[in-house]
Amino acid sequence: MPKHIARLLALIVVVALIAFSVRTFLIPDSFYQYGHYRGAAVAEIASKVPKLQGSASCLLCHKKEYEVWTAGIHRKATRNDAIQGVVYKYGPGCEVCHTGPAGNHPSKQAMPLSIEDKVNSITHHEHKVHPANVPGRNLLLKPQDMRGICLNCHEKLAGRPTEQRQIDVATHSGDELCTQCHNPHSPRIVFANLPPSLRGDAKAGKAVAAACVGCHGEAGTSANPAWPNLAGQHANYLVDTLKTFKSGVRQNDMMTPLAEGLSELDMRNVAAYFASTRCVVTGGDQAKAELGKAKAANCAACHSAGGLYGKGSVGISGSSAWPNLAGQNAEYLSNTLKAYRDGSRTHAVMTSVAKTLSPLDIENLSAYYASVSCK
Amino acid sequence: MTTPDTQVEQDRAVMSRRNFLGFLGKGVACAGALVGAGGAVGAVVSERGNRAFQQNDEQYAEAVNNPPQVPDYNWNDHKWAIGVDTDRCIGCLRCMEACKMENSVQMDANHHRTWVERYVYLEGSNTAIVDSQSDPKNIENTGSETKFRFDNRYRNVKVDKAFFVPKLCNQCEHPSCVQVCPTGATFKAKDGPVLIDTTYCIGCQYCVQACPYGARSFNESRGTVDKCNWCYHRITKGLNPACVEVCPTGTRIFGDRNDPESPVSLFIRNNHVQVLKPEMGNAPNVFYKGTDKEVV
Repeated sequence: MPKHIARLLALIVVVALIAFSVRTFLIPDSFYQYGHYRGAAVAEIASKVPKLQGSASCLLCHKKEYEVWTAGIHRKATRNDAIQGVVYKYGPGCEVCHTGPAGNHPSKQAMPLSIEDKVNSITHHEHKVHPANVPGRNLLLKPQDMRGICLNCHEKLAGRPTEQRQIDVATHSGDELCTQCHNPHSPRIVFANLPPSLRGDAKAGKAVAAACVGCHGEAGTSANPAWPNLAGQHANYLVDTLKTFKSGVRQNDMMTPLAEGLSELDMRNVAAYFASTRCVVTGGDQAKAELGKAKAANCAACHSAGGLYGKGSVGISGSSAWPNLAGQNAEYLSNTLKAYRDGSRTHAVMTSVAKTLSPLDIENLSAYYASVSCK
Repeated sequence: MTTPDTQVEQDRAVMSRRNFLGFLGKGVACAGALVGAGGAVGAVVSERGNRAFQQNDEQYAEAVNNPPQVPDYNWNDHKWAIGVDTDRCIGCLRCMEACKMENSVQMDANHHRTWVERYVYLEGSNTAIVDSQSDPKNIENTGSETKFRFDNRYRNVKVDKAFFVPKLCNQCEHPSCVQVCPTGATFKAKDGPVLIDTTYCIGCQYCVQACPYGARSFNESRGTVDKCNWCYHRITKGLNPACVEVCPTGTRIFGDRNDPESPVSLFIRNNHVQVLKPEMGNAPNVFYKGTDKEVV
C-alpha cells in the first residue's frame, strides 16, 4: 500500500474514533429516549415553580381585604357557572389587579427558580421588604393607578361583549378617581357609604323636584293614591328607578320624558331630597290589612326586618336598592303587584313572587303595607 | 326455463365472483394506500394515534412504560386542550400580563407567549381592521409597553362589528416547528404541549419561521426561542395555565380531553368549535368558538 494512502486511512480512523467518542460523551443518555430530544428535559420544564398562587393564598395574611372581596361583586362574579354543561369562571381574583404574582411576594420563601428565570428573586423570610422592591409590578396599588386598572376591563370599548359592565369615563366620572365612590375589592356602590358630596344634595334636589311636586306632592306625598309616595323612600331606589325610566327599561307616559331630561347628578340630588322628606302613612282598609299581615311573611325577607343587614322594621327594606313599602299608597302598591303579575313590569324576583299572589292577596297585602308605620 | 331455485344459485355464483373481484380490488387499494400514504395516514388512525409527533415504536413504548419523573404526574393519563370562547373576551389583556409574569417573558411589546387581537369591521366594510397590544398606537395610549391595554380609537366612528380573539400556541398534533428543529430542542410531549429544551436551543429561529400561527418569538437576552407551553410547570401540578387562571370572564377554558367531563371536553362537545388554519394540516389543540372568517 502506498504511504500516502495508509496515512489517509489512518487519519480517517483517528477522526472516526474522535467523532465516536465525542458523540458518546456529548449526547446525554435520555436523548432519543422518547423521541429526537432529551427526555430529561420534560421533568426539568415541569419542575419550575409556579408563581401565580391564586386568591386563596392571599387569605393567609390579608383577611380583611379578602373578606370585603368575598362579599362583593368581584368575588361573587368569581363563581363557577355551568352554561350548557361548560364550567365558566368569572370575576377577577387578587392577582388579576395586583399583578405581581404572589410567587414574587416577599413572604414567600420559594421564588421562581428555573434556568429560564433571570428574575432576581428576593428570598426574605419576613415581610420586611416593601412590595415596591419586588420584581415585576407593585403589589400595592395607588389611587392614581386605579383608573388605569379598572378601565382595563371596564372602559367602554368597541368589541367588548354587552354583558361586561363598561363606562364612558367622560360622562361617568369626569376627573374623579374610581376609588372616590367604588371600593375596588367590592365595587358595587353602597350609597350610604358615599362621601356627602356624592350622596346627592337635598337642597339642590329641591329645585329639580319642582317638576315632580305637581303629582308627587311638595313633601313627597302624592295627590292621587295611584301614584307612589316618595317621601322617606331610599334614595338609591329612587335613582335606580329614574335610571330605568331614562333607559327605557320602564315606560310611563309621565315619567319617561321627565327622566330623560335628568342627568345622573340631578337624579341623585332629587332622590336625596325626597329621601329626606318625612313620610306619611296613608292607611288602608283595616279588615284587609289584618288578612294581609298573614301573607306578608313572603315579603319580609327583603321588605321588612332589615333585609340582609339585620333587624329593621316592618315595610322598611334592608337594602337601599329595594323600596320601602311602609305607609305607601295602597292603590299604587296593588297596581304595581298587578303589573308584575301581568308582565307589564318585570323584575328578577318580583315577577315570580307576584305570580304566586291572587288578586285578593294583592288587595290585602297592599292594605297592610299602606297602614304600617313608616317611622 | 329456470326455477326460482336455480335463479338463486346463479345469483350466488355471480355474487361470489363479484365478491372475489371486489376483494382483490380492495386488497390492491389497501396495499397502495399503505405504500403511498405510509405513516402519515397511519398516524391519524388506530393505535398510532396515541404516539407523539415523530415518535417511533420503541420510543412510544418507552414513553408509556417509563414516563418522565414528574412528581404525582403521568403524561400518559392526559391529553390537554384549550377552548377559547371569543364571545366572552373583553380584551383586558390580563392573560398577557399574567403570562409574562409567570414565565418571565421579555416585557417589551413584541415578545409574548400569548396575546389578544382586536378585529373591527367599520360600517359598510367587509374586511376587518386588526390590531393587537403591540400596535404602536396602543403603546402610545398608555405610554408604556408594559401596560397592556387597547386604546379607544373607535370611539367616534361607526363600528358594524368588533370582537377580541385571544391567541396562544396551538400545541399542534403535527407541529411544523418540531419538524424543522435541527437540534431536538423543541419537541412534542406525549400529553400535548410542544416544549422547548432551552439548553439545546441554538437560536437558529428556524421554528419561528415554520410556525403558521406566529406563536414563537426569539428571546434575545437568553439567545433561545420562547413559546407558550400552556404553563407545563403548572398543569403538571394540577393548576390551570396562568392565562386561564386570571381570565376574569372565563374566555379561556382548559382541561383534559381524556376526561369526557372536563371543562374543555364539555366546551368542545356542546359548542360549534373550529381551529385556526385547518388547511395547514397542523391539527391544532386550541378550539375557538365564535370566531369570524377573518380570524386566522
